[in-house]
Parts: sequence; structure tokens; C-alpha cells
Amino acid sequence: MTKKDLGLLILILAVGAVVTMINPRFILPINIANTANLVGMFGLSALGQSIVILTGGIELSVGSVIALIGVLFVDFIATQNIPWPVAAALMLVLAIMLGLTHGLLITKFKLPPFIVTLCGLLIYRGIARFYTRDATAGFAFGQNFPKLEFITAGRSFGVPNSFIGLIIAAAIMWIVVHRSVFGRYLYAAGKNEEAARFSGIKTDQVIIAAYVICQVLTMLSAIYFAMYTRSISPASHGNFYELYAIAAAVLGGFSLRGGEGSIIGALLGVVLLQELQNLVNLLGIPSSLNFAVVGGVILLGVLGDQQWGSFRERRRIEDAARGREPKQASAE
Amino acid sequence: MNNTGRIAVAIAAGLTLSFAALSPTLAADKPQLAFVANGASDFWKAAEAGMKKAQTELADYELIFRYPDVASVANQQALMDNLATAGVKAIMVSAVDPKATDVLNRIAGETALFTTDSDAPNSKRIAYVGSSNVLAGGQAAEIAKKAMPNGGKCMGFVGLLDAANYKERAQGFVEGLKGTKITLVDTRGDGIDQTRAKSNVEDVLTADPSINCMVGFYSYNTPRIYEALKGAGKLGQITVVGFDDDPITLGGVKEGTIAGTVVQQPFEWAYQGFKLMAAYLKGDKSGIPANGQIIIPTKILYAGDIDAYAANLKAMSGK
Amino acid sequence: MTSVAAHIEPASAEPFLTLANIRKVYPGVVALSSFSMSVSPGEVIGLVGENGAGKSTLMKILGGVIAPSQGTITIDGVPRASLTVADSMAAGIAFVHQELNLFDNLDVAANIFVGREPLTGGFLRLVDEKKQHEMVIPLLKRVGANFSAFAPLASLSLAQRQMVEIAKALSVDARLVILDEPTSILPLSETEKLLDVIRALKADGISVIFISHRLHEIELIADRVVVLRDGALVGTLDRGEIDHQRMVKLMIGRDIKVPSAPLANAPGNIAMSAVGVRTAAHPAQPVSLDLRNGEILGLAGLVGSGRTELARAMFGVDPIYGGYFELDGDKFRPTHASQSIARGIFLVPEDRQGAGVLLDLSIAENISLPDLPAHATSFFVNRGLEIQTAERQKRNLAIMTPSVATRTGSLSGGNQQKVVLAKWLAMSPKVMIFDEPTRGIDIGAKAEIYRLMRELADVGVAVLMISSDMEEVIGVSDRIAVMHEGRVAGILNRDQFSGENVLLLAVGKTIGAKTEP
Repeated sequence: MTKKDLGLLILILAVGAVVTMINPRFILPINIANTANLVGMFGLSALGQSIVILTGGIELSVGSVIALIGVLFVDFIATQNIPWPVAAALMLVLAIMLGLTHGLLITKFKLPPFIVTLCGLLIYRGIARFYTRDATAGFAFGQNFPKLEFITAGRSFGVPNSFIGLIIAAAIMWIVVHRSVFGRYLYAAGKNEEAARFSGIKTDQVIIAAYVICQVLTMLSAIYFAMYTRSISPASHGNFYELYAIAAAVLGGFSLRGGEGSIIGALLGVVLLQELQNLVNLLGIPSSLNFAVVGGVILLGVLGDQQWGSFRERRRIEDAARGREPKQASAE
Repeated sequence: MNNTGRIAVAIAAGLTLSFAALSPTLAADKPQLAFVANGASDFWKAAEAGMKKAQTELADYELIFRYPDVASVANQQALMDNLATAGVKAIMVSAVDPKATDVLNRIAGETALFTTDSDAPNSKRIAYVGSSNVLAGGQAAEIAKKAMPNGGKCMGFVGLLDAANYKERAQGFVEGLKGTKITLVDTRGDGIDQTRAKSNVEDVLTADPSINCMVGFYSYNTPRIYEALKGAGKLGQITVVGFDDDPITLGGVKEGTIAGTVVQQPFEWAYQGFKLMAAYLKGDKSGIPANGQIIIPTKILYAGDIDAYAANLKAMSGK
Repeated sequence: MTSVAAHIEPASAEPFLTLANIRKVYPGVVALSSFSMSVSPGEVIGLVGENGAGKSTLMKILGGVIAPSQGTITIDGVPRASLTVADSMAAGIAFVHQELNLFDNLDVAANIFVGREPLTGGFLRLVDEKKQHEMVIPLLKRVGANFSAFAPLASLSLAQRQMVEIAKALSVDARLVILDEPTSILPLSETEKLLDVIRALKADGISVIFISHRLHEIELIADRVVVLRDGALVGTLDRGEIDHQRMVKLMIGRDIKVPSAPLANAPGNIAMSAVGVRTAAHPAQPVSLDLRNGEILGLAGLVGSGRTELARAMFGVDPIYGGYFELDGDKFRPTHASQSIARGIFLVPEDRQGAGVLLDLSIAENISLPDLPAHATSFFVNRGLEIQTAERQKRNLAIMTPSVATRTGSLSGGNQQKVVLAKWLAMSPKVMIFDEPTRGIDIGAKAEIYRLMRELADVGVAVLMISSDMEEVIGVSDRIAVMHEGRVAGILNRDQFSGENVLLLAVGKTIGAKTEP
């Protein structure tokens, strides 16, 4: 865990302590579990986003993909009666194809990631709405999928399974990003693609893989979201979720220029974001202020991090000045 | 090709496509009447059905149904501008912002304008066909009073806190509760985000255990309340008052876990609205009352009413 | 060439700028100590010293960017403890930095007057393009520019851009122009133009401080040479005393022989050939060239002659548009660096910080990067193995760093270049391509890099060295190929080596009988 991650953790605990003092119900197991469930769902898409941001790219289509996969998945299992494991496998194939398309357009056709994924945002939203003719995709009253519901919306020993899913995904991604050869290539390609290419790294493949990973994790979160709301209105479902994912990654120390950030940071970023949403309700803050609270805390967090960094740098230089200056002077 | 050339071709191609998309409208020989919704949702499916029924009776007109791409004033305005330009004779709109009087007046200057769903009484609209949200709120209060004779503490849930339809429903609800021990403590907004709509309910369950009544002001809020309560094992312990006829809401009412729901009749709005517009265009203004408001009453559904209502709904939508 | 005698005339006027006992202390480092110097009008002062000798600190003090810890700066008889940027500008001190501070997307006139554009009257206060143009023409004439005031900056060569910078300095009535490594980015032929501009400034009574690693140019132009070492003034050479050996001796504090004399290797077999290769730079000109084992082949030519493009094509980072390379009897057309690396063809690129190393990765991570699968256990990076390789390379190449876990960006230029070399030498090179390997590197590290290149050749590696530094090309190579506008204009053997021959071929002329085409 880096110092940055530790700082974020302290911020999360501090905010939690303050909220608990005002409304002790904040630390009730049920509230923690509810928040953990949201962390699990938003966390999966934030992890995916982080991988793309690590390459210096951005994935803006996340919210629309969540809507598209949501309506398709729910429609497949609720209306078309396709067995859910088959539907999930189909969604996986779709996610891989979306990731490949984005990656290829960005690397082989040299289009800017912002443009490619912005077009994705519009296209997938449109397809999702067209697919259901703007109707809501949902389950009939009493329609149940016990196994699927347990995996997605259920709880094991009081812990939401979506959160457990996130922890498993995060553990895998942590190993991939921080310990594997591919992870090193991700950092290298994100920090300086030219230098990585000059070291023989197939940067195009690395970047394409990043977009595929992002879409697969987004697909997972899409299924969790679908089973949480159990009803997907294609025009609004998942709106702005890409921004939550980006915000979590940035809070977690990822640089939008690429090549910087840690998986643990991204996780903590998601936790902080959901904690903020939760405290708005717990403290009875008017819901209209929700976005303002979240935006304000992100701004303060990033500002604090930046200021702390330059403060430490100044301290280091001043310490060095005090420590070594006299020695040099006496030498003359 | 140079850049300018490429851009020119792209613009030309874009224009051609736009015209191609508009051409059915342009080519129509029968006069057109349009219904403009405030955003895409299931709610309007019944209105579309109402339009279909009206079409069978209005052979002289072509009836069309339009959704704005995004539920925004600007988008809806552009849509109506396009329709007016294309020569549509009358428009019935569920305005995204009924207070945007200038916008509505401008459209009213180009074509015959009717409102539905939420009225804009200060505009130059010819008439309003729809529910009274205040009355609907009052009916919701009836449900609450019947379910909680000994009083209760209600929390409301809604998409947009600043929307007029919410404010009127809440007003009717609060007025209807006067003199009882039931109160509406607060309403949580979710910005039309269903994930947040559900987590809002979960948070309220945690934050304030004294809440024993929940009101879903928008059609999707009641099913989210239902599901959150189901997840928390609190179905039946908390009185749920609903609006509209989401399948989950109807199921919950029938099951007895939702006390009741207040339904509007968008089918009737569209059906009667189109007929009103057609009559108006033919010079028959007898159907328009002095205050311009044609209220199609909302109805309370209790457990026993569901089967009949659902059957009717099914018949209307032709499914 | 202008006659040398013309500028020996001593600058007779009184000094207008005097630095006395200047000292600057940074945390932990004395950057400058007891430094004194004076500048008279029309004087050209050469400032030399290895990297880190204190040259940049001195420049920053003169520019008003930093304040000296102690000492006095006297301008026109007024003593001060320090300068502000405004003081420095008011005193007529102008800088031409190594990294030119110009805007690619503006034209010449706009660059010269950026921030102080002449404006039209009236409410809008638009930029008065016409007036700006008129003001620029005489300035361009003074620097002998052969381009128009309306020329987009992007269309100018590096030397022309420097002229723009100098014209900018003149536009603020500079009395002292400080040129920081102006020739290190210039090809050989353009350097001469720059020296002419300096002579013209001198003739106008403008003083010049000329900072350069290229001692030959200092010899040609300077009235006086000031030598810095480890933050201290170690010597001043007057016109008559300026020579290469003396400067080097003062700079490094000992006698060394630079550059190393090439060994007369028996030419080995052909390791790699370019056969009719066409690159994007000059697609009409096929290039053919043989690289031999055990030989250092110098590749000279003007900037833009297609040398770098050839190297990039060999390394697989640029596509080729015709022809092929021959390697071990195979036709080889790499489309990605990984293919060249797999065949033992390595490139030490020109742009060290942009393409050579990843500044934010550690030394060890940089060294293992091209060969990471060999430093991994199945999918996982084996950090132990990585450190082991890095430590070995650190010893072999004498990389000056406390630890191989250090961030590469914190190393000096010379040590960064050693990291680039270390990563390739950790694998087994067959063909090593060096593109401007010693640019911006101090003399001590330069000599080490030359020694390493020679050692590689001695063990049979084919070495290709692209260089714009005449001393380096002549001093290090076994043969020299000279490119001109995309083709190999000639190949010089040792007995034909001379600056004149290289330059003649580079500008497209022919030399006497003994060239092989």
C-alpha cells in the first residue's frame, strides 16, 4: 500500500468517524453491507476504467454499456427464456467484441480514445433504447432466478456477494497489474508509449487488451446492476456511471496522463465515493446537493494530495539544506 | 481530398440523411397530429395504445407519437420546432418544463398546442388533457389513511425533486393528510438513476428506523421500494403507497405488500386528446371548457382491483 | 570561412557587467562558489565545463531566475545582490536556450514579438501584422536570415530557428546574448552559419556568452574562455591561449586523450545490409549499406539526410517503402521493434528521454523491459532476477547510482544513456545502432561510451554510429558513410578521414578519387 493509498484510507475512516458521531446508525452492519453492495457494483466498472486510464486512455462508454448489457441480459433471461449462464456467456462475448473494437480503432486506426469511446457512449445508448423501443426491460412480478440472484444480489455471511465478486476481481487485477509481465507493459505503454515501443513491447496489443479487460469488468458490473435494479430503463440506466468510474480512479491516484495508479487506490476511491453518497442520506442532507458533495470532496482530495506532495518535497529540500549545508561550507 | 472537401462531403451526407429521415413526414398527404412525450418510458406505451385506438376513428388524420432523445427542455423544443416546420397541424405535449412558457408560446404560434400530463396554464395552449396531480396526491393520502389509521411517518422517493408533477402530488398528499397523525417527513431524489433510487430506500431504512411508510412518487420508485424492502426482509412491515402501474407495483398491491397505488390513464389522455385535437381543427370547440382543463381522473387500485386492471391494460396495449 | 584574424581584436571597452564572488548554495550542494567574471561590449566569451560544473546556475543568476547566496552583480556601475527577471531584461541580457522557446504554430514575426505584439488602435486592439512584419525585417537581416518573416516556424530548420531566437534577443536591444549549447543540435554545415551570426553581433558591439561542449567552435569564435569545474572558476584563457588541450585539461582536471583512437580491425563479415531500402523521409532514394562485424561504421550527414530514418527502419519502428535488409542470408523487413530485437538488432535512440528510457521506471525496470519474459516465472515478473541483472549491468557499465531501484529520471544524462546501453548489453547484440549517442553528455561519460562502443566492436558486434559531431565521427569510426538527401553519398576509409571530406560529401559535393560510392 502506497502512502497515497494510506492517505485515502485515513480520509475514508475520518469521514466515517464524523458521520458516525452525527448518526451512529452509519456503522450498523446493515448500512455497511448496503454500501458494500454498491461499492461492489461500482467498483467493478471502476477497476476496468482504471486499467484503461493506466494506458493513458479513457473509456466513456461505460454507462451506455451498462444499459445495453442490462437490457439485453434481462430481456434474454426474463422474456426470451434463455438460461442465464448462456445469456451471461453471450454478454461476455459481446463485451470482448466491444473492447476489441475500441482497442483496434484506437491503436490501428489511431483515433483518440476520447472520440472512440464517446461515439460508443452514444451508439450503445441508442442501440439499447432501440432494442426495447424505449420500454423498460424488467422481470414479471414474482419471476425469480434463485441461483443468479444469490450470486448477484445475495449475501454470504452478511457480506454482499457483489462485494465478494469485486474483491476477487480486484485480487486478480492486482496480480495482473502489479506483478505480471503484462502489468509492467501496461505501465510502460501508459507512461511513454514511444519508449515502450523502442524496448520491443507490442504496445498496440497491450492497449487493446486493456480495453477488452475494461469491457469485461464493465459487463460484470452491468449484470450486477441489472440484478440490483431488476428493471432497466434504457434511456436513463447507467447514465454518468463512466464519470463515477473515472472519479474513483482519479481519487485513487490514477493520472489521466497514464502510467500511474494502483488497484488498491482505485478500490479506496470507490469506497470513498459510495461513502459520500451514503452520508448524504444518513445525515439528511438534501438529495439535490448529492453531486455537489461528491464533487467537492473529490476536488479537496485531489488538491490535498497535490499540496501534500509539494509540501513533502519542500520539507525534503529544507531538511537536506539544514543537514548538509554546514559541512560543505567548512570544506571551503 | 483536402480537409475542407472532406468536411463538406460529410456535411452533405449528413444533410441527405436528415432529409431522408424527415421525408416520410414531408411526404404525408394527410394532415398530421402529434403527441410529444417528455422522455422515453413505459408509461407512454399506454398512450401509444390510446393513439392507435384514436387512429381507427380518425381516418382523415395521420397520428404520430414522438419521444425526445433526451428528457431536456432544449431537446423537446427542437423536436417540436421540427414537427411544426414539417407542417404538423396540432401537437399535444407532456412538457419537460411546463414553466418554460416562452418556449410553449412560440410553438403555439406555429401550430395548435395542447398540453398533457403536466399543464402549463399560463401559456397559450388551447387545452390541457390529463390528470390532476394534486387530486392524485390526495388519493394517495386516502390509501395511507386507510392503511395507517393510527398514524405514521412517511418518507417519499422521487426522480426529480424540482419537477412540478412531484410538487403537486406531494402537495395533494400533504393536504389530504391534514388532521391525521400521518406525516411526510422528507423526500429523497435520485435524478432518475434507478440504482440510486433503490439505494436511497436502503439508506432510509438504515438511517431512520422510525419510518413506517414509504411513498413512491414516480412510476419506478414504487418497485424500487418494493425490492429494497424485500431485500431487507421488511415487506409487509412498512406501508407502501405507490403511484402508477409498473408490473412490480401491481404485483405488490395484489400480494398485499403495497397498500395501494394511484394510477393515471395515459391511454385516455392520448385517445381523448387526439379526438379533441381533430375536433378543434375542424372548428368544433365545444369540448373545451372555460378553464381549458380536461381532467381525466386518476384511480386508486387496491388488491382486489388488480386483475381487472391488468387485463384491461393488456387488452389496450394489444399484447 | 571568415578570417580568424578579424575577430582577435581585443574588446577594449570597459566591462558593463561584472560578477564578483558569486556563490550559490542549493540544499546539499554548492552549485557555484567564489565566481567572478566581467563582460565587455563586443566580447565573445566561451563558457565551458562538464555537465554539473555550474554553467546553468550561472545562467539562471544572470537571467534573474534565482538569486545568488552571496556576491555582487554590477551592471553599468550599479552593484546589486541579485537580479530579477525584469532587471535582467532591462540590462539587455537575452537568452537562447538549448531547447528553443518558440511556437511551432506561429510564423517568424509572431514568434519574435510574442507577448509584445504591436497593436492597432481602436476598440479591438488587434495585432498589427503589417507593423510587426516591418519591424522584423531589419532584425532578420542582421542575423543573415534566408527566410521570410511570414514563414511558419514549423517550416524552418533548427539553425533557422536559432536565428529567430537571436533575432528575438536583438528585438529587445540586447547587449549580451547568452547562447546555451547552440550547436549541439545543429548539423555541421549550419554551425558555420551560426558562428557568422555571432561575428555579426560582435561587430555591432553586442557581447556573447557561448556555452558549448564543442571545443572546436569555442576555439574558432571566443575572445576569452572561462572554464568551470565543480562550481568553481578553474581558469580563464585569453585569445592566444585558447586551445583544445588546455580547455580539456582545465575542464576535467587531468589530461585525457579524446577521443579514443580507432583500432585497425580487420574488417569482419557482413552482419547486416540495407538493400535498396526506401524510407518515408526520402522515398525516392534507395539506400544500400553494409554493416560489418567488428567495425564501427560512422554515419555522417546533415540533419534530414535520412540517417535517423534508416536506423529506425533497421530497428523496425518505422515502416520501409521498398527494398529490404539482409541478415544471416535472410531478407528481413521488420514491422515492429520486437522483431529486430529478437534478431539482436538494438537501437540507442537519438531522443534518449522520449524513446530510450522510461524516466519514471526504476533503473532495474528499464534494463529488464525488452527482455521481461526472461525475467519472469510464467506470467509473473521475477523481481529478484531483475535486480540481479540490473546490479550486474550497473557494475559492468559503472552506472553512478545509489541503487538500481532509483528512478531513472533522477540520473544524469550520461548515466541515463548508460541505462539504455545496459538494457541492450544484457541481451546479446549482433548489430548495435547508436543515434547521436553522446549528445548533451559530458566529456567524461562521452569517453566511457566511446570505450564501450569499441569493446563491442572488438567482440565482433557490428556498430553503426550516427553522429553530427565531427570530432566524434572522425575520432571513433573505422569507416564513415556520409548521407546526402536520402542516399549514401560516399564511404570514407581511415586514410580519407577529414572534416573537409565529410562535409563535402554531406553537402552533396564529391571528393577526390578515393571514394567508394
